[in-house]
Amino acid sequence: MTDSTESPDLQRRSGLTRLKEGTYGGFFAACAAITLLTTVAIIATLLSDAVMFFAEVPIREFLFSTSWSPNPRGGGQTFGIVALVIGTLTVTITAAFVALPVGTLTAIYLSEYATSNARSILKPLLEILAGIPTVVYGYFALVYVTPALKATLFPEMSTFNALSASLMVGIMTIPMVSSISEDAMSAVPDDLRQAGYGLGATKFEVSTGIVVPASISGIASSYILAVSRAIGETMIVVVAMGAQARMPTVGETVLGIPYINPADVLLESGMTITVAMVQIAGGDLTGGTIPYDAMFALGLTLFVVTFVMNVLSDIIAERYREEY
Amino acid sequence: MATDTDTGRVEGFGEVSRVRGIAFEYLSLGASVFGIFALAVLLVYVTIDAFDLANASPEWLLTYFLTLVVPFLGFCLYSARDRALTRRAVTVAGGGLVAVAVVFTLVETFVGQIPRLNWQLAYLFAVGIPLTGYLTYMGARGQPGSVGFGLVGRLIGGTAVGLALTVLFLVFDPRLWFLAYTLGVVPATLAYGYGYVREVPTAMTAVIPIGIVGTLGAVLLRPIVDTYPTTVFVYLWTLAIPVAVAGALVVAARGGRTTALAAGGVPLAVATAVGLGGQLAGLAVGGPNALVVLAVAGVPTAVYLHRVFDVGEGVIGLGLPVLLAVGALAGALVVETFGIPAPNPWVSETFLTEAPSRTASEAGLYPAIVGSVIIIAMVAVLSFVLGVATSVFLEEYTADSGVVGALTRLLQINIANLAAIPSVVYGLLGLGLFANLLGFGFGTAVTVSLTLSLLILPITIISAQEAIRSVPDDLRRGSDAMGATRWQTTKNIVLPEAFPGILTGTILALGRAIGETAPLIMVGAATTVFSPPSSLFSKFSAMPMQIYAWANFPQAEFRYGVVAAGVITLLVILIGMNGTAILLRNRAERGS
Repeated sequence: MTDSTESPDLQRRSGLTRLKEGTYGGFFAACAAITLLTTVAIIATLLSDAVMFFAEVPIREFLFSTSWSPNPRGGGQTFGIVALVIGTLTVTITAAFVALPVGTLTAIYLSEYATSNARSILKPLLEILAGIPTVVYGYFALVYVTPALKATLFPEMSTFNALSASLMVGIMTIPMVSSISEDAMSAVPDDLRQAGYGLGATKFEVSTGIVVPASISGIASSYILAVSRAIGETMIVVVAMGAQARMPTVGETVLGIPYINPADVLLESGMTITVAMVQIAGGDLTGGTIPYDAMFALGLTLFVVTFVMNVLSDIIAERYREEY
Repeated sequence: MATDTDTGRVEGFGEVSRVRGIAFEYLSLGASVFGIFALAVLLVYVTIDAFDLANASPEWLLTYFLTLVVPFLGFCLYSARDRALTRRAVTVAGGGLVAVAVVFTLVETFVGQIPRLNWQLAYLFAVGIPLTGYLTYMGARGQPGSVGFGLVGRLIGGTAVGLALTVLFLVFDPRLWFLAYTLGVVPATLAYGYGYVREVPTAMTAVIPIGIVGTLGAVLLRPIVDTYPTTVFVYLWTLAIPVAVAGALVVAARGGRTTALAAGGVPLAVATAVGLGGQLAGLAVGGPNALVVLAVAGVPTAVYLHRVFDVGEGVIGLGLPVLLAVGALAGALVVETFGIPAPNPWVSETFLTEAPSRTASEAGLYPAIVGSVIIIAMVAVLSFVLGVATSVFLEEYTADSGVVGALTRLLQINIANLAAIPSVVYGLLGLGLFANLLGFGFGTAVTVSLTLSLLILPITIISAQEAIRSVPDDLRRGSDAMGATRWQTTKNIVLPEAFPGILTGTILALGRAIGETAPLIMVGAATTVFSPPSSLFSKFSAMPMQIYAWANFPQAEFRYGVVAAGVITLLVILIGMNGTAILLRNRAERGS
């Protein structure tokens, strides 16, 4: 496109070009804005119904009452989140007992011991663990793991129980721990390892005494992310853990510290925050009722908890990262 | 660590305990494979249940092993052309047989019966499948193997895409598509072709406006016009012919005019003949759907055949589909002739083509499969457009500093946080916003697709950003130096280079969407529907929803049969999608 003037138009800014550029730029910006709008929409949706819920049910009752029955037959709804929190904690802690040690050891193996060949096989296989649909894990827990545990270790286990669900949640979150921890361990400079060897340390001592402490912030942030993932996990627990909001009997030790018998929550059915939401959604969705709003209050709780944990994990990864 | 447990030496100074190190290494190795092993065992059991392998007689297994598996392994070994590999494969197959038999017998005697597993199945899963997988991988590296697998892949992939297209027309109005295609797509393509051949940039600029005007015109005309050609002709004109033309153009770019005509024309002619002929003769095989499937599977196959013959290497690999088909037929024939008791698999034609039922033997997944295909198609379009646009904006259009830089960082942090929000919360968003506030209805395709698109959007964006970032800056600078505008650089340089990576990331994210269940429950998707959906606003189900519904059934036939079959179907589709994504990535890495 040459002009009739002497000098060529180096900018090539004809009206059409400028219009095209502007249209595309605007379109891309609008699409990017959708991601921000999503966050705003999530918060607005959760808050608007949760506010209605808290107008009906006092926050105190929601946080401290131990009984959860949104749709009782005879009337008298109660909305106490404590039983649900206990269910969620049961699953999260048990899953953490599986995912955190296994994930950390996996990360150490991948970063310190594995040959590049073994790594190229193991890493995609581990990713598969995170890619299996969670409803499939739930089905596995219900149909294979529970009967197997019942036949071998815990004959008194009920069909729906927290243990097999938690084991599956744990297996699912292994790759989350291992991949982030491994990234952190691989970022540890080789100089540190060589210095360790120079002092006469064995490979084991270098791995556990140098690499792990040097990458502890990455490991910690991976733990938090995995736990937050376990808190929000829904389908595994919905399918395998049943849907009974049970408040376990709380005993007291000599010093007056309350405790709960682990077998009491692990081998029985229970209900997590997510299960409670799914259960309400299975019944009534038209809106305007207290259980409907309660669903959003639970969602808000979940959102706040996972959001805080993610921010925390970011801060830990940022602030305590060793700069090499 | 110094040890002083040593026997003869003084103090043992300088000695290092190897035991602890070795124990730790094996402990961490064990941890690495723990999850994988647990999942593998569960997958083995679900496979056994879905295919009723526990009731497969040894003769049945042996028959198919000899007619199907052995020829296939032979093909792989022939393709790999590696004597050492052949020797190793035979050793593993033979030694594995002995090892499995010994270990299995020991376990059965000393530990106890392993439920639903016999030594033949143990051999199949512990040796047979890993060995087949490894040899397939090695065989694919040889020329005949890569040709054979390429052909099989195109046949299967083309059929799957063709079937998915016919399924989409259950909810999308074919007549509206006919109008939009005729008024929008065809003129726009012609304008592009004219601009490309004659080098008229204005014509190419006009492509998008022409397409939009044509589509709008189609939407306006649809209620007015009420005479349309029959479905066969609509599909022929809007799907089969463009696919054939595209195939012919691909071949024409490489070879002569005659071969190009043949590559496009022959599959088109076959598809038209079967489609029209079947409909005229009233046969079950023909009809519009057969036309689409044959054209969509046939044209890429023809193009591929042309390329293989053109290159002239590994042509013998083209016999692989024949080998497999003959093997399967021979196996069936032997089983039939000798009356060998065959297992009765839950994954069967009835299961894939029938509606759910209260009776386990009649239960099917068809409406749920249709629902999943439609949802995935819509999520793919939405999340691809939004994801690419957002990542282009973040990578190409923003600055690192100033107000824009701060805004970019905010967007970036926000995207990372969105990726970590539990899916059930997205379900609440869909319920509150799309279903109740905007009135798209509970559990309709529109609500579900919008919700799932937002759910996987962060993953799509992050992977697309990585793909765009990996485009070397030199290319951008080169384009800028030639006077290209930002959009021209993006369109001509960045997006083509990053495209395979973006596509891979999007498909992997779609794999996440296809298995999501919790958001579907929250927006009120139906657990069970008995007929495939007829519009975008009718009640929907999806495969994971149906699995969830069936898992609650107390009967053993459902728990161990029907649900297992559903899980296998879902996983096979998932593996197919992820496998495609990984192949695309590998090819792009090899190409660049």
